Amino acid sequence: MVSLLLQGLALGVLTGGLYALLASGLSLYFGVMRVVMVAHPAFLFLAAYLTYTVHTTLGVDPFLALPLTVPLFFALGVAVQRLLIARLAPDNLAMMSVLLTFGIALTIEGLLGTFYTGSYKSVSMEYATRSLSLGGVHLPYDKIIAFAVAGLTLAVLFAVLVKSRFGQALRATIQHREAARLVGIRTERVAGYGFGVGLATAAVGGTVLALITPFFPASHWVWIGKLMAIIVVGGLGSVVGAALAAVLLGVVEGVVLVTVDATWATMMFYVFLFLTLLARPQGFFGGRLAHRF
Amino acid sequence: MRTVSRGLPLLLAALAVAYPWLAPNYYLVYAGALTVMYAAMSTSWNLLGGFTGYVSLGHSAFFGLGAYGTGLLVVRLDVPWAVALLVSALLVTAFAVGVGIAAVRVRGASFVIVSLALVSMMNLIVQGWRSLTGGSTGLQVPSPFPGLHRGQTHIVFFYLFLVLLALALLSWWYVSRSRFGAGLRAIREDEDKAESLGVPTGAYKVAAFALSALFVALAGGLYALWFGSLDPIFVFSILIASYMVLMSLLGGVRHLYGPLLGALIVAPAGEYFLIALGETQIHLTATGLVLVLVVLFMPDGILARFTRRRAGPSIPDESADQRLQGVAP
Repeated sequence: MVSLLLQGLALGVLTGGLYALLASGLSLYFGVMRVVMVAHPAFLFLAAYLTYTVHTTLGVDPFLALPLTVPLFFALGVAVQRLLIARLAPDNLAMMSVLLTFGIALTIEGLLGTFYTGSYKSVSMEYATRSLSLGGVHLPYDKIIAFAVAGLTLAVLFAVLVKSRFGQALRATIQHREAARLVGIRTERVAGYGFGVGLATAAVGGTVLALITPFFPASHWVWIGKLMAIIVVGGLGSVVGAALAAVLLGVVEGVVLVTVDATWATMMFYVFLFLTLLARPQGFFGGRLAHRF
Repeated sequence: MRTVSRGLPLLLAALAVAYPWLAPNYYLVYAGALTVMYAAMSTSWNLLGGFTGYVSLGHSAFFGLGAYGTGLLVVRLDVPWAVALLVSALLVTAFAVGVGIAAVRVRGASFVIVSLALVSMMNLIVQGWRSLTGGSTGLQVPSPFPGLHRGQTHIVFFYLFLVLLALALLSWWYVSRSRFGAGLRAIREDEDKAESLGVPTGAYKVAAFALSALFVALAGGLYALWFGSLDPIFVFSILIASYMVLMSLLGGVRHLYGPLLGALIVAPAGEYFLIALGETQIHLTATGLVLVLVVLFMPDGILARFTRRRAGPSIPDESADQRLQGVAP
């Protein structure tokens, strides 16, 4: 029983790292535009399918797709923000942006289903199928790789946000848009780049996802539920809150997965979502921005 | 103008009643029944969305629960179908009150997230609880009219859905003229102000949520009896929920006949795409693109664009302050 719990705990931490990466994108969108981007998981799967195509046609390692997908997704993110989101009227932005990105998600799902069919696809690499044994706990290499990639990407993201001039401008825009504009920051442009960075994290996440789990077009809905639960528990707009909630929910999921079953493991996300809303609608960590949304 | 706006609904109602006898084949009767079903559902979606501005992407949860509730009562407990339909709808409404209490604590985008989560959650439960629901293999519900052949059943259900649509339209119309409706509109304009003026916003929102769930649950129950087989992936699908939103938005959420008009456009178009393009996923792309276009270029819907004057009862354009004065005690 103890080793089972340890197993669940370890798996949960590893998966939680990936969740943290994926939720960070959502926090960025919410921060820069006050937009809940329901299409994030759809883009994730778009990246997974692109990785699949690159891997099957060129026969290269899935991670070699990253130099292609990351810039592509950055450009897509800037385009989505400039061409679509920025056009919405500000008075009803929250609702309309959800509907807009929901439409984008349906569009992507339909295209993926048309081009790749609705059946499961997967990318498996020989090095990723084994697992590491540590004192009775088995850690699959693919999950370790996923965790490492997620950790590395998050570290880069934080370094950019804290150290670079762009990061400073982005944080200023998130904190107070008008004030940022007054001191000469071109907030529209910065918001576009913020979206680009968010989608770039989806490109990385999608590649990792392709490696660790089979996927099909409609599975992005499951991820919407999971990621949304994470950012609500963490507090909308708080990157650190999202990361903490991601690891917490990853661990809860991992433990329930090994002790009960998969249905209840997924259910835990929704249980936490509703409990959070009842107890603390603005989220448990940070979440200052979420108060009036 | 007045005679037109009085006469037109009557003419359309007469046309709707005559439709099954005008349709050249049973397939078109089937498509008509489906359209009326969607019209009823989007009209009841609009009881929440149109008045309060709260966008629910999760109303297919109530559709699925109504369907499974009715189906399970008929199959497992041998309850007569009409009783099963009503009992199931009432249970779903009670459930919606419970969910509403949690869901309406958050606004805007967070509310949409909660509503989305609701569908996924119900899907998960119904698929996981195999011993009761049959899981992903589905549930078979016996026909309530075993004496009729398939085409005749389509006609009967066309009229049943028509009655449901009439009830939903009447409710929207009634609410739009009531003090309750004025309170809901005040919530959309400025929730904090409405609350400070003494509108019981929490109770009003939960009531609107439950009322709109009631008709969707009834539609789900009728659907279960009509189709005779339930598939959790379909009845708890995001697609059904997004149809309700798309239809209401396209027609115009501030108008009584907005969702109905949207349904008359979207549902036949969806059926047409299904036939023309087969079982590919491209209809999802079509739905998604239309939604994006509507949100970007026509967020107030067709009726708002073509009629500055009123096309049937609608929510008038007035300032938030005027509206709030109407509800202040």
